[in-house]
Amino acid sequence: MTLYRYIIRRVLMLVPMLVGITLLSFLLSHAVPADPVAANLGDQAAADPTIVAAFRHHWGLDQPLYRQYLIYLWNLVHGNMGISISTRQPVLLDLRQHLPATIEIAVAAMLLSLVTGIPLGMLAAVNRERPIDQAARVVSLVGVSTPVFWLGLVAIVVFYAHLGWAPAPGRLSPTITAPPFVTGFVLVDAILSHHWDAAADWLGHLVLPAVVLSSYSLGIVTRMMRGSMLEVLGEDYVRTARAKGVTRWAVIVRHAARNALIPVITIVGLSFGGLLSGAVVTETVFSWPGLGLYAFSSATSLDFPAIMGSGIVVAGVYVLVNLVVDVAYAFFDPRIRVA
Amino acid sequence: MLKDARPALGAASSTLTVGGAGFDIKTLDPGRELENGANNIDHATYDSLVTFEGEDLKTPKPSLATSWTVSPDGKTYTFKLRPNVKFVSGNPLTSADVKWSIDRVRYLKGNAAFLLEGLDEVTTPDPLTVVIRMTEPHPAILPILSSPVLSAIDSKLVAANGGDASPDAKTKDQAEAYLNAHSAGTGAFVLQSYTPKQEIVLVKNPNHWRGAPKIDRIVLRNVAEPAAQELMIKKGDLDVATGIGADQMRSLAGTPGVIVRTSLASTLVYVMMNQNPQVGGPFANPKVVQAVRAAIDYQGMLALAGKGALRQAGIIPNNFPGALPAAEAARTDREHAKRLLREAGLGEISGTLTFASDIVFYGIQSNLIAQKVQADLATVGIKINLNGLPYSVAIQQYRDGKNQLGIWQWAADYPDVSDYLVFVPGRTVAKRTGWMPEASPEAQQIAQLAKTTETEIDTPKRVALYQRLNRMIASYGPWAPLFQPVTPYAFRSNVHGVTFASAWMVDYYTVSKT
Repeated sequence: MTLYRYIIRRVLMLVPMLVGITLLSFLLSHAVPADPVAANLGDQAAADPTIVAAFRHHWGLDQPLYRQYLIYLWNLVHGNMGISISTRQPVLLDLRQHLPATIEIAVAAMLLSLVTGIPLGMLAAVNRERPIDQAARVVSLVGVSTPVFWLGLVAIVVFYAHLGWAPAPGRLSPTITAPPFVTGFVLVDAILSHHWDAAADWLGHLVLPAVVLSSYSLGIVTRMMRGSMLEVLGEDYVRTARAKGVTRWAVIVRHAARNALIPVITIVGLSFGGLLSGAVVTETVFSWPGLGLYAFSSATSLDFPAIMGSGIVVAGVYVLVNLVVDVAYAFFDPRIRVA
Repeated sequence: MLKDARPALGAASSTLTVGGAGFDIKTLDPGRELENGANNIDHATYDSLVTFEGEDLKTPKPSLATSWTVSPDGKTYTFKLRPNVKFVSGNPLTSADVKWSIDRVRYLKGNAAFLLEGLDEVTTPDPLTVVIRMTEPHPAILPILSSPVLSAIDSKLVAANGGDASPDAKTKDQAEAYLNAHSAGTGAFVLQSYTPKQEIVLVKNPNHWRGAPKIDRIVLRNVAEPAAQELMIKKGDLDVATGIGADQMRSLAGTPGVIVRTSLASTLVYVMMNQNPQVGGPFANPKVVQAVRAAIDYQGMLALAGKGALRQAGIIPNNFPGALPAAEAARTDREHAKRLLREAGLGEISGTLTFASDIVFYGIQSNLIAQKVQADLATVGIKINLNGLPYSVAIQQYRDGKNQLGIWQWAADYPDVSDYLVFVPGRTVAKRTGWMPEASPEAQQIAQLAKTTETEIDTPKRVALYQRLNRMIASYGPWAPLFQPVTPYAFRSNVHGVTFASAWMVDYYTVSKT
């Protein structure tokens, strides 16, 4: 099967997968022994049956469950994800406003962990048991075990409060006017509207949350790369290449690293999903207005349309990233047939 | 150690940056909102008939109404409107707008519709007179009218944008989206932008009837983490911080350039014991209720609640008429508690204490309060299991009357003591605690007394009646009042005129920056 058909088939599989996700989110959110009424109406209002009835009718909660689900699916197919109970805006608009922010820090964190973790893992494997290897293992351990919440707060105290190197938590300074909303990505919107100061301001704000969020995946990437490299370096073809006189670095980079990267790519795909959800904590600490914050607040207020919307988006992004990963496999390893 | 605040930039010197607690907002539509955060914004962008000044929530002051009279039977209030007031659209304020706005709240049947319970009708004999008639005498209506929910909306503009104030408003009104993007009021500020859960920007209304405010622009940001708020206000990146807790208050005290204050919240935090025998079990026994009241270490509770929190004797907060002096508060007497338990003769008593484990209220973590109650009751031999649940689950259980024991709070919905009648047998809070008028002759008596009290219009008589009611509820009711909390807040020393009222937090009209 050609790559092209493979991609098409995978994208088509998205549809039943997303339907499954909606069913799962719907069932799970309704399994909670609480009513959106509890989270959205005050004590006095909740004691008045006419107000409760009006609320339930307005949000379609007085229909039987299966009808609510079918109505949701019908609307979804028509591009309508419903209105969020907690923001009173269309969920689609909420997602358009919040998702780009999370993607910004998730991508930045992923890039940071790859750009730092892959070379570090390679160096550690090549210099096994030497100081650089010890250092890499410490970095890895600290990255994986340090709670992001704590790391974030410490980073803010050190780099913002004491050293003044980082700006105040947030995505843009209050004195900067945000660029007009086109894509929702500050960098893109700023470039499109020539708001260079907004772009620079955003970049400054991005550093700390991205570094903090990358700590976990940095730890994993480093470890995986190291282990994978060690395995590959012990292979026959590496020994053969050295015997044939290929230079040390050429062996490491062209022969070993390329093959060692394959398991790492798997990790990238899996941990990207983790980045999206782990972003909740980072977003809270850094007041970064992303999907994590939105999903969390919709969960606690039993905002069903928002919960479903967030679930669909996160699942969709996750599936897409893993599709990219699978395609990347074929690029890195010709042995993997996509048939 | 910390760098000084950045020097004010040219335009930024008249921008106020507020970080904070106000992002529980669901909507800015006055007819549908009830949250503190929404009141904070709507108090700045709209005006009501009456208002309160600064932190004094006892005396209603004229706002859009210049004067008012009450009929001898206490049912009819006649307000004279201020002439020559304009909405930001340029439309003039008339009595028709006031009627439209109040009717809209009534018929939308939203979260705050209960504020208009007992309303008979609103009439407008002339463009500058509004007459509000109640079905029974209801003196609380005057402080209730100060609420931003009942503010005057530009009826022509909002009706043109989908607004409806007819009896079918709850299905016909489509103005919420418009009101979340534009303010249609007479207030000192105008809504420039509202990004839910993120940021709200207000700009000044230069034609405001009191004169333009001293601040040009207000940026409210959702800074979810109190520690981050603390750091930001120290560095000068926030002018006002309203979401800090007791920890931040302690570490900000004495910081140069930052002033820390507390505002007494019109809230009661209490332990409830279900009187429905099927739910409450041993705690439905009056002697056990009294024993629990005697077992709690109130001084320790106050320490947990933070500086400025007050003891509560009875269920009416200390800043309302009808509150009881602290000397009448329940005393910690563990021997007495043990004696009562022996008299009750129920053997070893155990129970489940339910509370919302994921909320921090007034800077206090609920699990700490729960753990203290558990420890205190253990000293008299009552074994408590803690049942911390997410807020939406815990409160559902509580509202269904299924909490055996619980820690809850009642924040006044409006600045009047009558809001606390919910503790009367058979009414909202009492019902959830299983305390009905049929429970005992005393409960029956209290229910009767409440009916007399709520229609009393003579102020000194009213106060005396509320005190009597409060005393009876304190003795016979199934609650142990823990404390009245404070809301900590902080602001930079170059910001002046900052007040904090529990009804709407900071009033931005009086604020200025140097």
